[in-house]
Amino acid sequence: MTNSMTNVEFVQNLVKSNVNVLQEHITDQYQVHFVVEQDQVHYILNILKNAGWIQMSYLSAIDWPEENKFELVYIVFNWEKPVYVQIRTKIDRENPVMNSILPIYPGSKYYERECHEFFGVKFPGNPDYEKQLILENWDDIPPMRKDFDPEAYSKRKFPQREYSETYIVQSEGKSKLAKMEARKQRAESLRGGKK
Amino acid sequence: MKDNENKRYKHASIFGPMRHFKYIFKKPVTHPFKIIFTRKNASYLNDNAIIKNKKRLDSAPRTAPDNLRGFHTNDWEVCIGCGTCADICPTDAIRMVERADLKDEAGKLQQRPVIDYGRCCFCALCVDTCTTESLKMSKEYIYASTDPDQFLLMPEKTWQGEKVEQGYVKTEESDLLDLKRIPMEHIEPDERKKSFIEVVRGYSKEYARQEAARCVECGICTSSCPVQMHIPDYIKAIWEDDIEGGLRQIYETNPLPGVCGRVCTHNCETACAIAVRGEAIAIRWLKRYIIDSAPDDMYDKIFAEPVTEVIDAKIAIAGSGPSSLSAAYYLRALGYTVDVFEEKDRPGGVASYGAPQYRIPDYAVEKDINFIKKIGVNIKTNTRVGTDITLDELQKKYDAVFLGTGFFKARMLNIPGADHKDVIGAMDFLPLARDLARGHLKLDEMNVLPSAVVVGGGDVAFDVARNLTRIQIMKYGKANVLLTSLESRDILPASLDEFVEGGEEAVKMELGFGPQEIMIKNGKVKGLKVWKCLSVFDEAGRFNPKFDETQEQVFEADQVYLSIGQAPDYDYIPESMKDKVIIERGKIKANEVGQVAGQEWLFVGGDIFRGPDIITGVADGHRAAQGIDEFLYKKSKKKEQSEYYKELREAIHFNTPVLAMKPKRK
Repeated sequence: MTNSMTNVEFVQNLVKSNVNVLQEHITDQYQVHFVVEQDQVHYILNILKNAGWIQMSYLSAIDWPEENKFELVYIVFNWEKPVYVQIRTKIDRENPVMNSILPIYPGSKYYERECHEFFGVKFPGNPDYEKQLILENWDDIPPMRKDFDPEAYSKRKFPQREYSETYIVQSEGKSKLAKMEARKQRAESLRGGKK
Repeated sequence: MKDNENKRYKHASIFGPMRHFKYIFKKPVTHPFKIIFTRKNASYLNDNAIIKNKKRLDSAPRTAPDNLRGFHTNDWEVCIGCGTCADICPTDAIRMVERADLKDEAGKLQQRPVIDYGRCCFCALCVDTCTTESLKMSKEYIYASTDPDQFLLMPEKTWQGEKVEQGYVKTEESDLLDLKRIPMEHIEPDERKKSFIEVVRGYSKEYARQEAARCVECGICTSSCPVQMHIPDYIKAIWEDDIEGGLRQIYETNPLPGVCGRVCTHNCETACAIAVRGEAIAIRWLKRYIIDSAPDDMYDKIFAEPVTEVIDAKIAIAGSGPSSLSAAYYLRALGYTVDVFEEKDRPGGVASYGAPQYRIPDYAVEKDINFIKKIGVNIKTNTRVGTDITLDELQKKYDAVFLGTGFFKARMLNIPGADHKDVIGAMDFLPLARDLARGHLKLDEMNVLPSAVVVGGGDVAFDVARNLTRIQIMKYGKANVLLTSLESRDILPASLDEFVEGGEEAVKMELGFGPQEIMIKNGKVKGLKVWKCLSVFDEAGRFNPKFDETQEQVFEADQVYLSIGQAPDYDYIPESMKDKVIIERGKIKANEVGQVAGQEWLFVGGDIFRGPDIITGVADGHRAAQGIDEFLYKKSKKKEQSEYYKELREAIHFNTPVLAMKPKRK
């Protein structure tokens, strides 16, 4: 560890010498991410914390429905060596369970609750992870999953209001837009050849 | 002590809270809530409070951070009403409402979005997909009302009547539109100028689908198309690989899609919503893709039942250009007997004799015409109305006559030397070039000399120049063609394609000059004397060019080609009728569908009626078919009609195009 080493290089060294990095990406001199195996997340977070990455900045997930995976993203920060480090790992989407990192970063308590609420990831080890945080009485699949249909939800929960037609200015005689709509229907009726 | 261990504050004292007193005389760091209101809230509170606090009205909420996704603003001047925001909205919160008070203009729809803030989730997808960037999000985040109806808002340039700071703006990364066109492959200039090979190769299936995927299906193009084709619909058909459905949709409004897929003036692309910020969808080439990929037997599926004579009436059509063929097609589909008379040995008019082979090859014209013939239109070539059969005879033998004889005569210039045999009009030259390209003429038979000046700035002038380039290379191994026009580059009437492709083929250009004299020495053309053109139009917008005589030049050349407009040839109109038909500036006067006043049986279309391009001719033909049907249907005998025929008849009437607005070039 010499002075000529940049902070990013330091992190790279640190992470790569301890765990098996599946993929890495350097965004810029302040941001870097590493993809690791699920069972190595706690280990590497522990090492990062001891090396000065004491702040748990964010924890969230990305839905990859085609791969049938959730990608958890842990973002930690070091005030001495200003680099955001993202530790990413993909977990099963059908039964998404990830042990809590509460013992390492107590501040992750609410992030895990949020992640559970928005993606449905379970965090055993966090006694409160199932408590509702932001969404009140949510009765649908977690809303940040890509198979959540916001339009259907909106229609179910917030029935279309019959607003007074204050904004409409209609033309006298035949509406051009109505004609356009009729033409569209006519064109649609001609379809149905080779799909 | 043991009790204390379980307590949260182990050394609690009843005097503890006393420590807060030390803040009594400190300046507060928080804003007192009673003054942080929007003007709307403040006046609401004042209206409902006993004590009217004037200070409240001066209050303003704290400015939100940059990029905040607050309430929308929408600049109506910029917004074109495409409705893409309403389509993308994941919570179905945006609705387009009709605004007939907006000016009806090309490239815009008379509708604007309203947003239901009871549903909006502030995701900003509407901003990311906005075609014009008119829809934005402000930093405003406070809004309250006791009336639920007040949560349906129509975004305007201001928020609640006030100019507000911009919040979220889309970046290149978040922009959801694909502004770059899928490039079209052209034959390399050095290669293509040696022959009449078609310059544009056409899209492959993969490229066509990629290009189709860029379309946002707003339909703004449709109202700028003279025949109002079902453009977003056939583009969607391409994306879904439904060539047959696309073909049916195309034939609803345009029986010459192979021609129009190549040489249309594509006003649709000028009006395209994507073209506001990017490159228009290649609508013309996508249409061509459908036609190129439709096998001949697929055409049988355009009509569910074979077209037959349902109505006992006969119609004669003079000329076989776009307007004539369009009229013939729709009249035939309506069940009439249709005979087309063509003086040349090929039907197609401008598509077969005007437009160059390298833009629209014969096989493409034939593909369109073959289908028109297949449904039973009789085309009689080498039959000139006026000589082989007179208009009087047509009137006697047929129930209605449609004239689509076009502008096939070259306009000549009235300057010294213009009557020389090496001063050639565009419309005298282009048919010969076309015949040479199809092998009906030999190279030796073409009167083409090693160098030429072409006068004119339209697409036709470029057709002449580029045809000449090819013929000179074939004849002499190298080309020397100079194009000169009155119009300077910025007002050049020709399309950008022609300008670029002509330049690539080494057509020299000297723009902004007015021809004054053909220089002739020893009976041979030596060149063209020009003056610098200062302005083409006068202040009233009339054509009235002004020249600077001191800036005189001579463009040396062996030949001069004039492409300064085309003229009609009305020799076929008999003397007895000449005074009954009103001709104004070369065009025959008629009502909207082309019916000549006082001559109910006579209809006109195309260049001799409205002009100026192929697709307007097709529209004229469709309208004339509608007019002729209205004229003849009631008084003719009819056969029993099938359900399908009734539906088809209704569709032909329903699709009759209205006069389109021409969009301005962006």
